Amino acid sequence: MQIKIAIFLGKLIALISQTFKLGGGSAAPGLYSLKIDSNLVEKLIKQIPHNIVITGTNGKTTTARLLAHFATQSGLKIIRNHTGSNLERGIASALIQNYRLHPWGVNPKFDLGIWELDEAAFNIMVPKIKPELILFLNVFRDQLDRYGEVDTVVKKWAETLKTLTPQTKVLVNGDDTNTAKLAKYFIGKVQKFGLQNYKLRGESIEKRGHNTKLDFEAKNIKLNGLKGSSFNLFLNHKSYILNLPLPGIYHIYDTVAAIAAFTCLFTDIPIHPLRRLSEASRYTNTLKSFLPAFGRVEKFSFQPLRLERKVEGYIFLIKNPAGATQVFETIAPQLRQNDRLLLTLNDNLADGTDVSWIWDAEFELLLMPLSFPRKRESNKQNIYGSPIKSGMTVVCSGSRTYDLAVRLKYAGFEIKEENIEADIEKALKQAQKGLKGRLFILPTYTAMLELQYILAKRGIKEDYWKKE
Amino acid sequence: MQLVIGYLYGDLMNIYGDTGNIIALKKRAEWRGIKVKLKVKSLKSKIKKGEIDLFFFGGGQDQQQEIVATNLITSGKGKIIKSEIDRGVPLLSICGGYQLLGDYYKPHKAAKLIGVGLFPVCTLASSDRMIGNIVIESMFDKLVGFENHSGKTFLKKDAQSLGTVIKGFGNNGEDKTEGCIYKNAIGCYMHGPLLPKNPKLADWLLKKALETKYKRKIELKSLDDTLENQAHNSAIKKFG
Repeated sequence: MQIKIAIFLGKLIALISQTFKLGGGSAAPGLYSLKIDSNLVEKLIKQIPHNIVITGTNGKTTTARLLAHFATQSGLKIIRNHTGSNLERGIASALIQNYRLHPWGVNPKFDLGIWELDEAAFNIMVPKIKPELILFLNVFRDQLDRYGEVDTVVKKWAETLKTLTPQTKVLVNGDDTNTAKLAKYFIGKVQKFGLQNYKLRGESIEKRGHNTKLDFEAKNIKLNGLKGSSFNLFLNHKSYILNLPLPGIYHIYDTVAAIAAFTCLFTDIPIHPLRRLSEASRYTNTLKSFLPAFGRVEKFSFQPLRLERKVEGYIFLIKNPAGATQVFETIAPQLRQNDRLLLTLNDNLADGTDVSWIWDAEFELLLMPLSFPRKRESNKQNIYGSPIKSGMTVVCSGSRTYDLAVRLKYAGFEIKEENIEADIEKALKQAQKGLKGRLFILPTYTAMLELQYILAKRGIKEDYWKKE
Repeated sequence: MQLVIGYLYGDLMNIYGDTGNIIALKKRAEWRGIKVKLKVKSLKSKIKKGEIDLFFFGGGQDQQQEIVATNLITSGKGKIIKSEIDRGVPLLSICGGYQLLGDYYKPHKAAKLIGVGLFPVCTLASSDRMIGNIVIESMFDKLVGFENHSGKTFLKKDAQSLGTVIKGFGNNGEDKTEGCIYKNAIGCYMHGPLLPKNPKLADWLLKKALETKYKRKIELKSLDDTLENQAHNSAIKKFG
């Protein structure tokens, strides 16, 4: 009975919050339902036959979306926590919204649960979810005020791994020494994925000389600017050529991780016979129809004020030094003189209240024409190069707009007073004034949510929570 | 004029955007036509007398901090740093760096880590995590930053604090003091990073470095600090 009251209350709150546009209702319903039944998540998740947990600093949402895409294209019914709300309450909300409360009713039967968990929630939730497969993407510095130091995060993961049954499938990023070393803390089998000739060091991805043994490895990687990339992947004794419609090396990691996880879980299990896809078409064709997670990379077109024609806009989420630096590396070679940048820095709880991280992200890259990947001696050496590209307009915004403006000034940008505007909606207007090229928007997490709302209001794009 | 900045254990102790302090020092010197050379001094490096004009020492993770603590003593670098500070070379140390330059650090259940003994302070591990924006009043007017530490630092009788806490925890969350200043060396818990948003302090360090090096009084050219001051003032307005 308790569980039914909990679910009823959760559904009610979700309805209220969506009716009054208080947000997508991706956290609040779970929060209150958990107060009534704290074992809600265990009880409901037990009914799902397969569960995958994804953790790591960067790429969780994109990887989860890719996995969901492969699964639904293969005829599987999936449930997952949405929209980056990946604490326990996010999972509870997802379960509540999919649970039917008829006394006679049958719950929708799910084949697969995909749960993205942040670095800290992982240790609390894994014993409750008891997943069949765990995917460790990477670990970088992120919100040290919340998660603590990288070493601490890895140590706690190792402790959680020690408690798992050996049948659990564990997949780690073999190019990240911190996740690769997790293998020694687990008694079962650990498989590794990665990219040929790359490794993650410090806060960056760089070329590596030698190869570590990888179970899933992307080879012959070709980057194709903002359009995406292509690479070869060897699966079950066959090589596939994959075209990924997402730009940047970091998205190749997410894709290989998602394919590896799907392959580990469903190679031996018969999938819905009518919609069973060959491996080739599952990965090659379905990738074409993949839309990136909201705000992680998004392309839209819009008509700036007082302008007759439409222009292109891009949104790339930036939230920590590693992720931001990878975004800069991806877009820097594409930037032209007429393009504009709109950067927004918020310091809400979900962004991290400590904004120091912007000094570990290499904003200098945005001013340097370069070909990725660069060879470096150490990740601290190259911050001191002199910018060559100048004159590109940059607009700063968000609750810590002055911190951002100072960071950009020291990176070599010329910041004009009229281009500093804390209010995101006004900043967006300012960035459009006389825009001739394209607009690149780089927001932190809560700034991105604000932007989504503003763009939806203007009819440029849909509300993110309605998209799925 | 030329300046050599020594980044102490820059490969191991660089958490929380502290490299921003180096960027601020370097740019503010270069904007005035002063050449800057950066030297990272790590486990295997030696420091010669007179080689470094300005030291910076950031914070690190626990494991790295232990390695660095031992190396400072066994390699003799700690002693050299102390004698350089005594002749007036300026230094800025944050969090872990500050703790290691004190008399000692006492972890929860392990033996004391002996420090360099530059600042007359000692640090005790605690279970409180002191996290948040911090504003203090100091000889450089107000300073703003972000702190994140669990060690509680206590000043000895003769020690001079960097300032008084207006908002935040400071050295220990108990006595309203923050940081320590000895000759031209400063230790404190203020990340943020500290120097970009507190240009007055950045310039004081540069001035002391040049004066010690060139043995004469030096007036730095003034810069347009409109943005820096806006960042400084908006932090005070928001948190102070």
